[in-house]
Amino acid sequence: MIKFSQVTCHLGEQEFNYELQLPLGQVVAVMGASGSGKSTLLNILAGFIQPTSTTGSIYIGDQRVDQLEPAHRPVTSLFQEHNLFAHMTVFENLALGIRTSLKLTPQEAVQVEAALDQVGLKGMGSRLPKQLSGGQRQRVALGRALVRRKPLLLLDEPFSALDPSLRQEMAALVRAISKQHNLSVLLVTHEPRDALELAETVVFISDGKVHWQGPSVDFISQKDSQIRAYLGQSC
Amino acid sequence: MSVTIPKIPGLASSALSNPIKTRWFWFSAMSFALILMPLIIAVVAFYSYIDQAQWTLYLNDAYTWRVVWFSWWQASLSTLASLATALLVARALTRRQQFFGRWLLLRCFSVALVVPSIIAVFGIILLHGKYGYVNQLWQWVGGQPHSYVYGLTGILLAHVFFNLPLAARIILQRLDAISAETWRMSSQLGMTSKELWWHIEWPHIKTVLPQVAALIFALCFTSFAIVMTLGGGPKATTIEVAIFQAIRFDFDMAKGVYLSLLQIVFCGGILWVGLRLGRPIDMFTSLETGPGNMRPDLKSAWGKVSDAIVLLLATLLVLLPLLAVIVAAINSAWSEVLLDMRLWRAAYNSLWVALSSAFLSLLMAWGLLLAQRHWRRRYKTAAIAVEWMGSAILVVPPLVLATGLFIGLSPYVNVFEINLYIVVLVNALMGLPYILRVLSVAYLQIGADYDRLCSSLDIKQWPRLRLIEWPILRKPIGLALALVAAMSAGDLGVVALFGSPDIQTLPLLMYQRFGSYQSDAAGVTGVVLLALCLLIFAILERVIGGPND
Repeated sequence: MIKFSQVTCHLGEQEFNYELQLPLGQVVAVMGASGSGKSTLLNILAGFIQPTSTTGSIYIGDQRVDQLEPAHRPVTSLFQEHNLFAHMTVFENLALGIRTSLKLTPQEAVQVEAALDQVGLKGMGSRLPKQLSGGQRQRVALGRALVRRKPLLLLDEPFSALDPSLRQEMAALVRAISKQHNLSVLLVTHEPRDALELAETVVFISDGKVHWQGPSVDFISQKDSQIRAYLGQSC
Repeated sequence: MSVTIPKIPGLASSALSNPIKTRWFWFSAMSFALILMPLIIAVVAFYSYIDQAQWTLYLNDAYTWRVVWFSWWQASLSTLASLATALLVARALTRRQQFFGRWLLLRCFSVALVVPSIIAVFGIILLHGKYGYVNQLWQWVGGQPHSYVYGLTGILLAHVFFNLPLAARIILQRLDAISAETWRMSSQLGMTSKELWWHIEWPHIKTVLPQVAALIFALCFTSFAIVMTLGGGPKATTIEVAIFQAIRFDFDMAKGVYLSLLQIVFCGGILWVGLRLGRPIDMFTSLETGPGNMRPDLKSAWGKVSDAIVLLLATLLVLLPLLAVIVAAINSAWSEVLLDMRLWRAAYNSLWVALSSAFLSLLMAWGLLLAQRHWRRRYKTAAIAVEWMGSAILVVPPLVLATGLFIGLSPYVNVFEINLYIVVLVNALMGLPYILRVLSVAYLQIGADYDRLCSSLDIKQWPRLRLIEWPILRKPIGLALALVAAMSAGDLGVVALFGSPDIQTLPLLMYQRFGSYQSDAAGVTGVVLLALCLLIFAILERVIGGPND
C-alpha cells in the first residue's frame, strides 16, 4: 500500500492536499489538467519537494518515507527528459544506478549488461546518449531503474516526447518489466490511452486534491463533470 | 553628382531596385567606413615606418624580449588565478541559492565590470601599499612593513579584481542552467559532493572554460593602465606599456611601431585561438535570482563553512578596494578639490567622451548588424565578413590603434587639439565587440522571427523600428550603451597617450594626482569618477533599457 495521509504542500500561491491509498504491485495512472498537481504528487513521494505540514505522513508498504533523504527512499524516478548524463556512456549511465562512484565489481558489470539486454539495448553500452534516439534514451533510463532494484517506479510523462508508435513500444516494455520484476508503477500521463492500456487504476487529480480514484475501465465512462471536461467530452 | 556604388559582395540588383534597401545600405556603409578608416590610417602609418625600423637591433634587444616574456607570463598567471578563484566562488554561489549575500555579491560583481581601472588600482594601493591597511595590520601584530604591491603581485591583484567577477558570472550561469531533473536524479542516486562535481558540474563548465580563459588572457595581455601604474618599473612592463613609453618618453616612433606590430601579431594569435575554442559567450545575463535547485550536498557542515569563507573572501576582494577609495575621500582636501574648476572641466570632458563613445559605438554596431541581417540568408560570405569587421578591433588593442592614429594624423593636424575626438573614436571601436555581443543575438533573432510577419503586414521603416525593434531591443541597447559609456568614462589608455595639460579627463586627473603623491586630492577625484561611472551606467541602463519587469 502507498499511503498519503494529510500531506500538504504550498508552492507559490498553490496549495496541495493529498489523501490517498494505492495498492502495490499495480500500474497506476495519475491524470489531471496541467498544474493540477500530478507531478507534485510524484515529487513529494520521491522527496524532491518537502511537504509543508508536519502532521502528515507517507508510507510505502510498511516503511514511513517522508522523513527520508531522496536516495534512501525505495523509488526510482523517470522524467520526460534529462534522465541521462550526456557525457557518460550508456553503460556508465546505468552503472550510476548501482554505484555513483562508477567503480563496479565484475558481478555488478554483468548486472548492467543484463539490464541493457532486457531493455533491448544489448551491445550499445559504449554509446553516448546523443548517438541514441529519444526512445532508446528512455530505455536506458528504464534500464537504470532495473539495476537500482527499487520496488516503486515513478514515471513523469516519460513517453510524451515520443512518436505514437514508439510510445506504444515503450508502454509495452514498461508493462512487461513491471510484471516480470513485480514493480509498482506510478505513471503521470496526459494520454487516456496510456491509462487504458497500461494501468489498472486511475487517480484523477484536480486543483491539488485527489478528485476521483478507481479502476481504469471505469474512468473513461465517468459521468463526473470535471473528468468529462478533462477528457474533452461534453456532458 | 555621380554616385559610385562600392563593390561589396552580395549587393545584388534586387537590393538596389528597392529604395528602402539601398537606404539601409548607405547607413551600413557609413558605419563600415567609421570602423575601417581608423584601422586603415593606423596600418598606413605603421607601413610608412617599416623601413625606418631597425629590425635587427630590436630583435637582439634583451629588454624587448623581457617585455614580451613578462606580457605572456603575467597574463597566464592572471588567467589562472582568476579562473581558479572564479571556480570556487561560482560553485559556492550555485550551492547557496538562498544565501542572502548572493544578491549583494553579484551586484558587486556587476559593479566591478564597470569600475575604472585607475580606481581599482588606487584602492589596491591603499590596501596593499607600504603604508596600506594590510601593512598597518601586519605592523600592529608586530611585523615589519613590506613593499609588495608594485610588480607582479599588484598586477595579479588588480587583474583578479576585474576578471574574477567576469569569469564567476559566466561559470555561475552554466551551473545555474543545469536542469532541475539532473539535480533530482543525483539526489535520488545519492551522489556525494565530489561526485556531483565530477559527474555533473565539471562536464557542464569545462566546455566554456577555454573560451573564458581566452577572453581573460586577451584582456590581461593588453591591459594598460593597471600595468603602467602597478608595474613599478622596467622589470614588470608589458608590450602595451612599452609602446606608450617608446612614444611618450623616448619619442622613438619606429620602436613604437615595431612593438605595435608585435602586439598585433600576438593579439591576432590569441583571437584566433579564442575563436577556434568556440562561440562567444554571453556574459551579461542577470543572475541575481538563482533557479533554486535542490542538490543533495547542502547539509554538510564543512560545505557550509567552506562556502561561507569563499563567499566572504570574494566579497572582501571586490568591496574592500572600493571602500578604501571612498574612505580616502573623507579628508580635509575635499572642499578644495571640489571647488577646483579643473575637476569639473575634467568631469564634463569624461561625461562627453562617455556618451559620445557609447552612441557612436551603437551607431557602428547597428550598421554592421543591419548589413548582417540583410545578407545573412543570401550572401553568407558578406555577412561573415561583416561579423569579422566587428571583431577585427580585438586584434588591434586600444593603445596600438591610438599609436597608429597618433603617427598617422600628426603630419596633418595637431593631435593634441583633437585628442578627445580620437579618444571617442577609439573607445567607440573598443566598445564595439561588447555592444555586438549584447545586441547581436536579439537583433538577428528579430529578423528570423518577424521578417516575414512584418512584410506580410507591411510594417516597415519607422513603424517597424518603433513597434517591433525598440520594445524588443531596448533592454540590450540600454545595457550595451551603459557598458560602453562607463568603460569610456573610466578609460585611461588612449587618453594617456594624447593627454595634454589643457584637456583633461577625470581618470587622467586622478592618475596625475596620485602619481604626484596628492593622495587626498586623488581620493576625492576618485570618488567623483566612481560616482560618475556608476551614475552613467545606472541612468543609461534604466532610462534607455526601461523599467525591469
